[in-house]
Amino acid sequence: MSLSLRIFRPAVFRASRPISTSHAYQTARTYASQTPGSPVFEVFNRKTKHLQKDRAARNVEESRKVDYIKDEVAIRLCERLLDIKRDFPSVLDLGANSCNIARALTMPNPDPATPTSAPLSNKIQHLTCIDTSEALLNRDADEPFNTELSLTRQVVPDLETLPFEPSTFDAVLSSLSIHWINDLPSLLAQVNSILKPDAPFIAAMFGGDTLFELRTSLQLADLERRGGVSPHVSPLADVRDVGGLLTKAGFKMQTVDVEDIVVEYPDTFALMRDLQAMGENNAILHREFGALSRDVLLANEAIYRQLHMEEGARGLPATFRLIFMIGWKEGSGQAKPLQRGSGELNLKDLLGGGDFKQNN
Amino acid sequence: MSQPRIRPIEKFAQATAKCSVEAAAYGKCIVADYTAVQKDMCAKEFMRLKDCYLAAAKKA
Repeated sequence: MSLSLRIFRPAVFRASRPISTSHAYQTARTYASQTPGSPVFEVFNRKTKHLQKDRAARNVEESRKVDYIKDEVAIRLCERLLDIKRDFPSVLDLGANSCNIARALTMPNPDPATPTSAPLSNKIQHLTCIDTSEALLNRDADEPFNTELSLTRQVVPDLETLPFEPSTFDAVLSSLSIHWINDLPSLLAQVNSILKPDAPFIAAMFGGDTLFELRTSLQLADLERRGGVSPHVSPLADVRDVGGLLTKAGFKMQTVDVEDIVVEYPDTFALMRDLQAMGENNAILHREFGALSRDVLLANEAIYRQLHMEEGARGLPATFRLIFMIGWKEGSGQAKPLQRGSGELNLKDLLGGGDFKQNN
Repeated sequence: MSQPRIRPIEKFAQATAKCSVEAAAYGKCIVADYTAVQKDMCAKEFMRLKDCYLAAAKKA
């Protein structure tokens, strides 16, 4: 099954007419046409996603308990800021969830190389956190980290249209949100526009093989119990796609890397319950409505355990594959790649070694 | 004193956990030929698993 599934919905629908066999109707044929501009890509139901996030965040205790992935990823994302030796007057957190990035920025001693380093929030004068879900965004508004950096929370109706002027921010960060964006190329182009020249965009998203265990075992359970498959796990962008997407949006000097986090769960129900509490449950537009049937759940539990549980492991593994991306908006004085073929130094002389000898 | 609410999914998980033998048998049946799974390929094993689950759920 192709994971890079994209559903194309034509912008113009034919008006419904009463069925008639009259000659007049037969000749009045409408032609399929498409409005100019980019086609409308819709994979995820935004309203559903919004409701899921809101509902999950209203159960504050449960929602905080399952923040382990988002907090960990936010910390890893912020570590990447250590490499950039400059201050950021104004920073945007795109799809902030419960402001996990703000929390990570205020952590003491972020630099493992120097044990007594100042928190990263010292480098940031102001952080703007935007998300669609008010309940989730304001969940931790009374926590102590809020006083340690200047922070505004802003609820936006839709993450796919950013309400900011061009050249507003000195950096845009995003942690575990943009995997729910329908039109990623458009969003990235907007991010590029709201950045000041020579400013970075640093993001982490779930990618390709995330939850492949659940994906495969649910497919097998669906097939064996019901004779067909329905999408239960989102299609996600692949690592290979991300570089292309960044280039297309006009970013320079990109870096893309991948990290896997494997979490062990006592059973598949615990995994699914946690995903729900994170607000990360299925929101595919053309999904089957209603809960999974108990037969499929029962079959899934058995298959997952048999197929993916390692010998001697304590629990069932679930892989979260994170794609980290950094792209810079074009700016003057920025390092550029040299012309192709203009290299004067052989890397072999510089680094040594490297004759490919045939082993006999 | 009211008991804390137990979600149905938790009861379901508890009852399922009591049927590990049947679950393993069903899982093995699927995994043995997972590239060509068909509907009701392991119906017999599944019914055993389901019977076990139903019995366990009734007891709880």
